[in-house]
Amino acid sequence: MTIAAALAAAVPGLDLTAPFEAAFASASRRFGKAPIGAAHVAAIRAAGLVIPDDLGQDECARGAMLVAAAPSVELVRDLVRRGDVRERQAVLRVLAALPEPARFVDLAVDACRTNVEDVFRAIACDNAFPAAHFPDAAFYQMVLKALFTGAPLARVYRLRERTTDELVRMVRAYASERRAAGRAVPEDAKLVAGDP
Amino acid sequence: MKLFDPHIHMTSRTTDDYQAMAAAGIAAIVEPAFWVGQPRTHVGTFEDYFLSLLGWERFRANQFGIRHYCTLAMNPREANDPALVDGVLALLPRYLEKDGVVAVGEIGYDDMTPAEDKVFAAQLELAKQHALPALIHLPHRDKKRGCERTLALVKDVGFAPELTIVDHNTEETLPMTLDSGCWAGHSIYPQTKMDEPRMVALVKQYGAEKILVNSAADWGVSDPLKVPKTRDAMRAAGIADATLAKIFWHNPVAFFAQSGRLDDIEAALAVDQRQLHEGNSVLRGQTPRVD
Repeated sequence: MTIAAALAAAVPGLDLTAPFEAAFASASRRFGKAPIGAAHVAAIRAAGLVIPDDLGQDECARGAMLVAAAPSVELVRDLVRRGDVRERQAVLRVLAALPEPARFVDLAVDACRTNVEDVFRAIACDNAFPAAHFPDAAFYQMVLKALFTGAPLARVYRLRERTTDELVRMVRAYASERRAAGRAVPEDAKLVAGDP
Repeated sequence: MKLFDPHIHMTSRTTDDYQAMAAAGIAAIVEPAFWVGQPRTHVGTFEDYFLSLLGWERFRANQFGIRHYCTLAMNPREANDPALVDGVLALLPRYLEKDGVVAVGEIGYDDMTPAEDKVFAAQLELAKQHALPALIHLPHRDKKRGCERTLALVKDVGFAPELTIVDHNTEETLPMTLDSGCWAGHSIYPQTKMDEPRMVALVKQYGAEKILVNSAADWGVSDPLKVPKTRDAMRAAGIADATLAKIFWHNPVAFFAQSGRLDDIEAALAVDQRQLHEGNSVLRGQTPRVD
């Protein structure tokens, strides 16, 4: 099964011929935010998209619409810029499944600058895009922000493969800063730096 | 003792905050232009933000007896948006000339990208051209390296350290900042950045020269009374009143006076709540306070 078909199959009643902008904007109301369930999660993963266990109906519907639309960078940028939190999440989760995904690296790096935890986690956690496409500096900043905000590093896809001496240095420096301030070092630092 | 909060984002705060700050002795504040919590999507929103810092927010502060100054800049985080950078930088030469603008800021690093390097350096040049000090924000991530890069850039650009505040220092960055000759800001936060007991320890170790303390209060969980609270903590720890007056009033006055735009900062500000700003009052049916 293709990723598009697996996403669409998880959302009963999804009409991919409806006018795009309105259908995309209203998906949370129309389909709800409940998790799609383990069977659909497994099917989407088997089709090749890395997703979290609790992917919502609305995220899935929007993801299906976006993959079916084979969107331009301009359209994706517009959806992120004008989107609410759920819309942004949905876009970020399927970036890796869009044609020529490397086109989206700038907007994905920019998405990491958000202060909205759910949006940050949509790109940083359970998402194959950063490991595949982020330059080193952007990947490291994302990992540090995850440590900073408490986003679980165990869910950063292919963290181990992207870990370098420089990332280890940055995490150790963060641990040193925390200790100098008399504060606890996050447990997750160990996932990068062993015993930081 | 008069107090100065040299870094606070009042646009995000309430009139209750203004009243509490004035009651606690805060007589002057500097509001740096910064990120507003989510990305702006138009150059025009920056312009309106600058105008509100120069207009309504200063009026609002004055209505509670607090002198309000601001710093203007393209902040480091949004410096990464190529759709905004050129337009915002083009606004600055005009706005940096306005009354009440006492520095270029907040500038500096967030992710330490090449785009941030460029915008940071360009704004230090703007500060030179407009004879203004610079207010520099240290990044939250990879902070020590960020401080090293910040100080190196200030030096490379040839920007005078005595015209520079490096803000959000910690135990690990303060020695570097002071060694460079820059002024050292500290943001006292409920959880992150710096707290009162640590600030007391830093002053005991490093003294008061070029040391500044601010609340950096904004739209997040933060406390606009951190300046008086830190003063109290220092006093309780036995630090002399003359030292406190230096840190909490004379240092920020001396630094921002380099802009030539503090006017008669030492004079008390008479409050007249009968005044209107473009037809608007801060009052909602209360009896106006008139000093």
